[in-house]
Amino acid sequence: MQHSTRYRLIFSFLAVSFVAGGVSLFIGGYLLYNAVLMEANNQVRLALNAADDVYETHVKFVKVALSITTLGAGFRSSLSEKRTEDLLDRLDRMAQHAQMDFAGIVAADGANICRIGPKVFQDEKGQHENIIARYVISHKHEIAGTVVLSKAFISRENMELADRTQFYPFKGANQLMPDDDQQLACMAIGAGIPIFENRVNGELIGVLYGGIVLNQSTNIVDQAQKSFFFDDVQQEKTTPMASILFDRIRIATNIVDEKGNRAIGTEVPDEVKEQVVIQGKQWTTTQLYLNDRYISAYEPIEDILGRRVGMLSIAVLESNYSNVQKKFFLFFMLATFLGAMIAIVMGYFISYQIMKPIHRLMKASQEVSTGNLSPDIGPISRDKEIAILQTTFKDMVESMKRRRMESRSQIIQSEKQASVGRLAAGVAHEINNPLTGVLTYTHMLLRRTDFPDDVRADLQVIAESTERVRKIVKGLLDFSRQTKLDPEPTEINRLVEASIKLIENQALLKGVTVQFHQGETLPLITLDRSQIQSVLLNILINALDASKPSDTITVHTTPALSASDTGNRGVEIIISDTGCGIAPDNLNKIFDPFFSTKEVGKGTGLGLSVSLGIVKEHGGAIRVQSEMGKGTTFFVWLPMNMNIGETKNETIGR
Amino acid sequence: MKLLVVDDEGIVLESCRRVLEFEGYEVSLAKSADEALELIEKEDFLLLLMDLKMPVHDGIYLMRELKNRKKDVPIIVMSGYSTNETIAEADMMGANLFLPKPFTPDELLAAIREISKRRSAR
Repeated sequence: MQHSTRYRLIFSFLAVSFVAGGVSLFIGGYLLYNAVLMEANNQVRLALNAADDVYETHVKFVKVALSITTLGAGFRSSLSEKRTEDLLDRLDRMAQHAQMDFAGIVAADGANICRIGPKVFQDEKGQHENIIARYVISHKHEIAGTVVLSKAFISRENMELADRTQFYPFKGANQLMPDDDQQLACMAIGAGIPIFENRVNGELIGVLYGGIVLNQSTNIVDQAQKSFFFDDVQQEKTTPMASILFDRIRIATNIVDEKGNRAIGTEVPDEVKEQVVIQGKQWTTTQLYLNDRYISAYEPIEDILGRRVGMLSIAVLESNYSNVQKKFFLFFMLATFLGAMIAIVMGYFISYQIMKPIHRLMKASQEVSTGNLSPDIGPISRDKEIAILQTTFKDMVESMKRRRMESRSQIIQSEKQASVGRLAAGVAHEINNPLTGVLTYTHMLLRRTDFPDDVRADLQVIAESTERVRKIVKGLLDFSRQTKLDPEPTEINRLVEASIKLIENQALLKGVTVQFHQGETLPLITLDRSQIQSVLLNILINALDASKPSDTITVHTTPALSASDTGNRGVEIIISDTGCGIAPDNLNKIFDPFFSTKEVGKGTGLGLSVSLGIVKEHGGAIRVQSEMGKGTTFFVWLPMNMNIGETKNETIGR
Repeated sequence: MKLLVVDDEGIVLESCRRVLEFEGYEVSLAKSADEALELIEKEDFLLLLMDLKMPVHDGIYLMRELKNRKKDVPIIVMSGYSTNETIAEADMMGANLFLPKPFTPDELLAAIREISKRRSAR
């Protein structure tokens, strides 16, 4: 039993630690997951902004390179004089420095003047396919940005470039062609600078254009990747990866496929295109690519004509962040496990601490059951409940001890009473013989008429005094008399009635009313009729003595449980008078032998003590309530079944 | 006819003799049950006044002996120890009256008168 309590305790500790751990694991995990996800999204967006910067920088770089070229000494004169070799030389240098894939100059009418590249040939038609030049010519100012260039344009510009460039079908790549006609095209960043006759204004004499084809380019995406704040401790795979998408196709990226090649030509889902290219939003999503989940952010790329033609994208391995989560989970599991271990250990010790006083109590109660009424229950516990248990147990044992002492003192008391009784009986007997002599001789002398009156008066005093002695001795005898009870089932009401009848005449003479309210359904009580009757008579006569004329003595009988004993059934006889009452000081003396408030010679002071003895012998009790001037009430309680075993009756020698 | 008083106490014997002789009764006194039995053997008595508690042989013995010897004589038992039992016992042994000690001369004479009243009524 002790073990089960201990294990139950440990188990509850465990349960609590698991519940607490589990709940915090889930709540914390959830919160952390969201936080990590948010952080990841923020980081990805930041990375995207960085990539955007890199992209824009390249655009500016192209534009600046072109601008500087146009500002070069002699450039304008070379152009106006159409010195193509000089111009080409300048363009070559520029393209080399700026790593441009294509560059050229067109005249104000759009006709090509010169362009870099190995195969230079004159356009016959379709000069308008040069979107950049066309834009600059029509708008008369410089332009830089993203452009979609058709394969035809690239082919004309540089055959070699066209050969190594991967083109993809695109609607509206050629402004001259109908929209629904899909043409192969590529995406590029390019710029165009108008060249005027003189620096301030004047006729447009040409347009310098150039650019970098983005398809398969590595520059921008790798620079973007390098610009990210991630330190080099991180593996390649964990760093964010940048991609440039033409429409929905990755044309430049540092995402690699399983063979380690750049994942060029792969597509993003329709949803991304819908949100970013068509709706023009920034978009973040998680995607599966090659068994890894990526958090990807996209933003649209607009070309110089304001069309959303592609996307810039950053992808980060989700595991970068979910690793943190995994670590968190692991940590929490460990913490929960540790908590459980602590719970077991603590539970073991705490239960030991809790059980220790209980064990002590158990041992103590075993000791009590074997008769040791002073068991060691140890120090009072600081636990309230256990302390209550301990003190209650202590009180219980104390009261058991007290009761045992009481019953012991009761036995001593009754033994004392018996010996006093025996003594009284002996004394009474011895006194009675000489008393007979005194009485006889006094009365004989009183019969004589030859004595003077004063002698006769003295004799009278002797006679009366002797009478008193006789009464005292008789009382002593009554007190000492411990006769065997002669119990028989008795109707209490009858007995009370008979007793009242005996004093009725006296009451009538004194002018005192005696009322009797008979209780109903009284059980038969087994008692010694003559003894109980003498008890009732004693109390009734006392009541009568205490009463004045017109006072009332009321007697009740009622079924009643014992006041002291637990639920012992019986009958209570209540005798109350409206007489003078008993002084509080005397109230606890009235049952003492020889205590009397009656006039000297009227009472022996033994009546109530004898009565109490009789009632006690029946296993009953007498209580008394009294108020000076208002009256006294005696409660005589008698049990249904008297328990004679307790008080051994002693018959005193004849 | 004579009355016989049996008591181990001299003062009781003397008190009874005084009262009874004063009233005109003839009185014999015995200090013990055995002495009483001797006297009873010799003569008949009108009445026996006896104590219960006496050394050697008590009143109960005396009454039993009288019964055995078929002496039908009224008996008044005097006792300084008047418990219900002693009274009942005396009653059973054939005592006609119980006179608790101490008694006044009047009480003694009343008891005797009561006995003779019962006698004559019979």
